[in-house]
Amino acid sequence: MSKITVTIARAAAVLAGAACLAISATAIAQGTADLPRTADGRPDLNGTWDNGAGIDFLRPQAIGASICLRGCEEQAPPASAAPASPPPPPDRPIYRPEYVAMVKDLEERQVETDPVLRCFAPGVPRIGPPDKIVQQPHEVVFLYDDVSGSFFRIVPTDGRGHGANPEPSYLGDAVGHWDGDTLVVETINFNGETWLTDDGSFHTPDLRVVERIRREGDTLHWQATAYDPAVLVEPWELRPRTAFLTGVELVEGAPCIERDIDHIVDGSHHDNPR
Amino acid sequence: MNMKTRITLVCAGCLAAAGPVAAHHSVAGQFDVRNQLTLNGVITDVDWINPHTYLYVDVENDDGTVSTWQIESAPTAMMRKAGLTSAMLMGDGSPVTIVAIPARDGTENLAWLLRIDYEAGHFYQFGAVD
Repeated sequence: MSKITVTIARAAAVLAGAACLAISATAIAQGTADLPRTADGRPDLNGTWDNGAGIDFLRPQAIGASICLRGCEEQAPPASAAPASPPPPPDRPIYRPEYVAMVKDLEERQVETDPVLRCFAPGVPRIGPPDKIVQQPHEVVFLYDDVSGSFFRIVPTDGRGHGANPEPSYLGDAVGHWDGDTLVVETINFNGETWLTDDGSFHTPDLRVVERIRREGDTLHWQATAYDPAVLVEPWELRPRTAFLTGVELVEGAPCIERDIDHIVDGSHHDNPR
Repeated sequence: MNMKTRITLVCAGCLAAAGPVAAHHSVAGQFDVRNQLTLNGVITDVDWINPHTYLYVDVENDDGTVSTWQIESAPTAMMRKAGLTSAMLMGDGSPVTIVAIPARDGTENLAWLLRIDYEAGHFYQFGAVD
């Protein structure tokens, strides 16, 4: 490009020690008196739930006709905007010693090895809380608008056992039950081709994931635990996440068309906290 | 109207911490987060796709030729939840000013979006601007 004015300033020192958001794993005390319920008395989980597209620390702000997803903290009206917080610290499973090197290798070669970078389904629990829930007395349907595409999971809650889909799959085979006002979803029969997190955390096809979903007001609390004793030292309890009831309806997901991989110059690992 | 490209490469580190909107892959693995550039041009198209949306921006060079920049940005779900649509990104065809991070691999006219300022006075911002 000719005649382009290029001004190069010295790179500033990388900001160090960014404060990390400490998130208590302590469950919020349940307040069920005003909990919306379905006709069968269960907590009403129906609705579209905004979990920040997987980025909990993002708080989009409307500033007049402008919209800021990040970096506008000083410009936002302080009284009306929820503060954006720094990304939380890594939340990763602990592997048996013989698999630590394998995880490190996968992480360092994420560009070559992460199935999500090629638009494959992210698996469970990596996909996170559902974006929409359709609840019926006999089953609950989870809908997702993920960067890899639109996905669904059907979760029977009428006592049916596993086995609706005999084929191992990316999102597995789920069944659910109610533990008081908490929906508990157990998922098995994964294909072993997904990761638990963004950073090389592989699992075996024997992975079992238990998700606990609870509504409090217009907030959905989601927490998942991954059990894979063949490779993990202990069950991995993910950091709890929240989603908020939103009027932004789910729509047909845009196609996932990967264009970046050829331009990625090193194995810098993913910087998302999911 | 001035559609000339002005590239200002500034302030590393700021971005590494304050950061652009997190992406499906590492932004730092593809884009030079130590530097920012400013483009003046016209948005000609928007690809409303995952895992990243793309804006196409025609920028007139000083020699009169026009370069089409690909400006990569957030996934569609993140855009929608923030209240953004492809039509809003596209604007009305008036000139815009874009702050972005250049590609690391030397690919010309490819960058990661930080902020768009529209002639009408509003902006959409996706990361800290120096």
